[in-house]
Amino acid sequence: MNWSNVRLILAREIRDQLRDRRTMFMIFIVPILTYPFLGMIGLGISQVAQQKPTRILVLGESHLPESPALIEGDRFAARLFRQPSMAKLLELHRGNQDSRSAVDEGSGNKAGPRRGSGAAPSRSAGFTETSARSAVEAGTYDAALIFPPDFGRRIDACRAAAQRRDQPPQVPKPKIIYTTAVERSQLACDRLRIVLERWSDEVARSFLAAAGAPEWSMTAVDVEAIDLAGETGYRGAAMWSKILPVLLILWSLVGAFYPAVDLCAGEKERGTLETLLSCPAARSEIVLGKLVTIMLFSSLTAVLNLLSVAATGPMMFSQLPGFGPPPALSPLWLGLALLPASALFSALSLALAAFARSTKEGQYYLMPLMAVTIPLAVLPAAGGLELTLGNSLIPVTGLVLLLRAALEGNYWQVVQFAVPVLAVTSGACVLAIRWAVEQFHSEAVLFREGERLEVRLWLHHLREDRGPTPTPAGAVFCGIVILMIHFFMSLHWAPPTDFGRFAVTVAVSQLVVILTPALLMTVVLTRSPRQTLLLQKPPWLALPAAVLLAIALHPAAHVLQKAVMHLYPLSDAMQEALAGLESLFAHVPWWQIVLVVALAPAICEELAFRGFIFTGMRNAGSPWRAIVVSAAFFGLTHGILQQALIACLIGVLLGWLAWRTNSLFPGMVFHLVHNALGVLVGRLPPWLETEWPSLSWLVRPAEGGGVAFAWPLVLAGIGIGLAILAFLARLAPSRLGPRETVLFGT
Amino acid sequence: MIHARELTKHYPDLRHGRLVALDAISFDAAPGQIFGLLGPNGAGKTTALRILSTVLKPTSGTVTINGFDVVRQPAEVRRQIGFMSANTAVYDRMTAWEMVEHFGRLHGLAKEPLAERMRLIFDRLKMNEIRDLLGAKMSTGMKQKVSVARAIVHDPPVLIFDEATAGLDVLVARALLRTVAELRDQGKCILFSTHIMREAEKLCDRIAILHRGRILAEGTLGELRDRHREHDLEELFFRLISEHDERQETLGRESRTAGPLP
Repeated sequence: MNWSNVRLILAREIRDQLRDRRTMFMIFIVPILTYPFLGMIGLGISQVAQQKPTRILVLGESHLPESPALIEGDRFAARLFRQPSMAKLLELHRGNQDSRSAVDEGSGNKAGPRRGSGAAPSRSAGFTETSARSAVEAGTYDAALIFPPDFGRRIDACRAAAQRRDQPPQVPKPKIIYTTAVERSQLACDRLRIVLERWSDEVARSFLAAAGAPEWSMTAVDVEAIDLAGETGYRGAAMWSKILPVLLILWSLVGAFYPAVDLCAGEKERGTLETLLSCPAARSEIVLGKLVTIMLFSSLTAVLNLLSVAATGPMMFSQLPGFGPPPALSPLWLGLALLPASALFSALSLALAAFARSTKEGQYYLMPLMAVTIPLAVLPAAGGLELTLGNSLIPVTGLVLLLRAALEGNYWQVVQFAVPVLAVTSGACVLAIRWAVEQFHSEAVLFREGERLEVRLWLHHLREDRGPTPTPAGAVFCGIVILMIHFFMSLHWAPPTDFGRFAVTVAVSQLVVILTPALLMTVVLTRSPRQTLLLQKPPWLALPAAVLLAIALHPAAHVLQKAVMHLYPLSDAMQEALAGLESLFAHVPWWQIVLVVALAPAICEELAFRGFIFTGMRNAGSPWRAIVVSAAFFGLTHGILQQALIACLIGVLLGWLAWRTNSLFPGMVFHLVHNALGVLVGRLPPWLETEWPSLSWLVRPAEGGGVAFAWPLVLAGIGIGLAILAFLARLAPSRLGPRETVLFGT
Repeated sequence: MIHARELTKHYPDLRHGRLVALDAISFDAAPGQIFGLLGPNGAGKTTALRILSTVLKPTSGTVTINGFDVVRQPAEVRRQIGFMSANTAVYDRMTAWEMVEHFGRLHGLAKEPLAERMRLIFDRLKMNEIRDLLGAKMSTGMKQKVSVARAIVHDPPVLIFDEATAGLDVLVARALLRTVAELRDQGKCILFSTHIMREAEKLCDRIAILHRGRILAEGTLGELRDRHREHDLEELFFRLISEHDERQETLGRESRTAGPLP
């Protein structure tokens, strides 16, 4: 790496960006103007929304008790509001429920006031409950309050009963009619509820007085809440800790994306990239220079936005409860989190922008990136998600949760989870940077030209120009098709009630969802099904080695499964569903279970994932990329996150087996034995107890269900497994190379 | 100085499965010589020059420039060449001086000697009046001058010009061709691609006629005239290309009608 070249490219790119008006607007002007402007608009809107009176239609006013008074004159009683002046916000309109309605029910607005007709209280002509509903639906009134006949008399009777210490009569419920579809109606309902709750308290007090109980008995137990945040200087941290991390993530993404598009897609568009590539700077130096520039602008955008929020936020939100100034150490924590966040998004943006042909195309890629990032950033801030080891391993989410903990002053949590969060974020950064460097090495990406898409031509090309094995694009397409069919079929799957139905479900899933697309594509898109599906004879020792490997690694896989379940616990509903599934196997012969749970997936899934998809991805060059992509698709078809993670890891091993042996059969054997052991191992402890009692310590029933392997057995299994892997690694690597090798023999 | 042997380049292509941009072409270019690659649009000129400038990798074949292999020693090759691409690409937000200086620094020139050399180049190419003009405000001719200055700032022994006069008016094109001739006289090895016959006739010491990825003829102008008994280069060019296309068409027809052997 020639650092002088990196410095030169960095200096040029910074100067170039600083001379770009659009970049300057995004980085300096937007943050300075946006938040004060948004604040002003928000406050204005909230003022208007809060102050505007809502129209309430009251039916059955004559059924109200004399005391305490709910309505005084033409308004609800002023004492029932937090401030008496707020009484005018509930505009009262009387409807006479007793007389038959003179209003057509379908157009109840004929007698009432129209929107914006003024605040004067009015007496509306006879309404029934039905016509009141219509009037609220039509928007003539924001809500209707209906007191049933006999309501006041029953209240009085209750009071009398309280006085006599008798059983009180039942009081019919008043009704509020409103619609959540209209915000004003919801607001009217909320206001009415507050007023009615206060009035209900007054009624209760009158009952207590009648019964001779003192009034303070209403508040006999008064709870004092002590807010430690106020003492420790973290008042308001709860709100800021939700807002600031999300802003940091979103603005570091946006701040990275626009310069990245200009520096890569823009350079392609202007034609200067070719000149740059022919100068002595290496591609990695060019990428690094651009990456640091993007990181700088990403960080600057995030910092300026956060400063602007910090300057305007406290002023705007000072009136809201729970909103204090941000914690004093916020700048430190935000600064520390900014580096990994901007590095990650800069690398991702650079890789995406390098792929784009023009700035216009580059900007299209912002939405998908946002669509992935926003849920990862916003969901933890929305609450309910705590910083655990499992969550800390999710990119972006882990960082947001860690930053939240730091802002809330939970330093012990920060100490506990800083390492996994930073490790995952750094890993994601490294992968994104590698992707970006790869993009700059790819001729297909750098000199990609627009090609008119003609479906007829494309189909013709697929048929006529097909190679012996699928293309990487074909492999990815197959994976996506399998996932799509899997998703839509899973919407219609009901939990099986017996083993027969379970077997049918598995068969349909394996044959229709997984095997059929792969086989169809093999026939249509390739010239050599045998080569595509790796239906080739493996080295003869590979088959017994695969059986032994599956047996040896099973205890370790079991421990891994437990660890994943501990990190990401299953929901109660899911646990129940799985327990129900296991109960189906209780009285089924073992060979039937192996047939359904082990043999069918071993054949179908291996043909699809290690056959079509792995072979197709091998044509992209790197065998490891093929292994990882095929394993990812394999994992994703397992639905539940916990199962998907484990399946993905097993998929890596199966892909490696396919690569080393150049055959599907060792993987099939491994898959068969692994799945069979997974289901049958539960039957092992009782069997050992009766047949080999001296060995029963090796596999015991676990406390929370299932089985537990003794650690010496796990470690021995890992040792044997590594030895078998070393043996398999010494076999000749796959003879199947990239597609070009097959086509042109170069 | 430049030795290309069996240079082949394939691109993946939706219409044809793969596109043969260069089909085993070989040529040599010597110092103090302008080697012209003459061909119609889509002949493979730009692909060949991109491979020479290490921007693309060949599918097969070898190219050495000043003794360095373009695939195995791309960094060394880049130090030996000045490449001017087909489009007049300059940075919109850099001045002429900044742009030439930037590439001079990337070629490892120290600040003072670089400034001295840039003053010389700016004088010779009459660029002083556009010294502080931003790329976005330059005319096509100005941009082309900046591109030439950028390509020669590190005084490379090999210069590669890809359609250097495309889009230029007669005056600017003539000035540019004069500069190229001067560079040849200084002993530079120059590879000059064009589809304009007159330019090739006037400027090039050796000419290779490239069509559909193949070199149809190669030699000095005199050799080509003698070999094909045609005085006018444009006529010669047209004849070679027509004959090649007809031959290809006949071959294609025969292969379609032949059918399987009994």
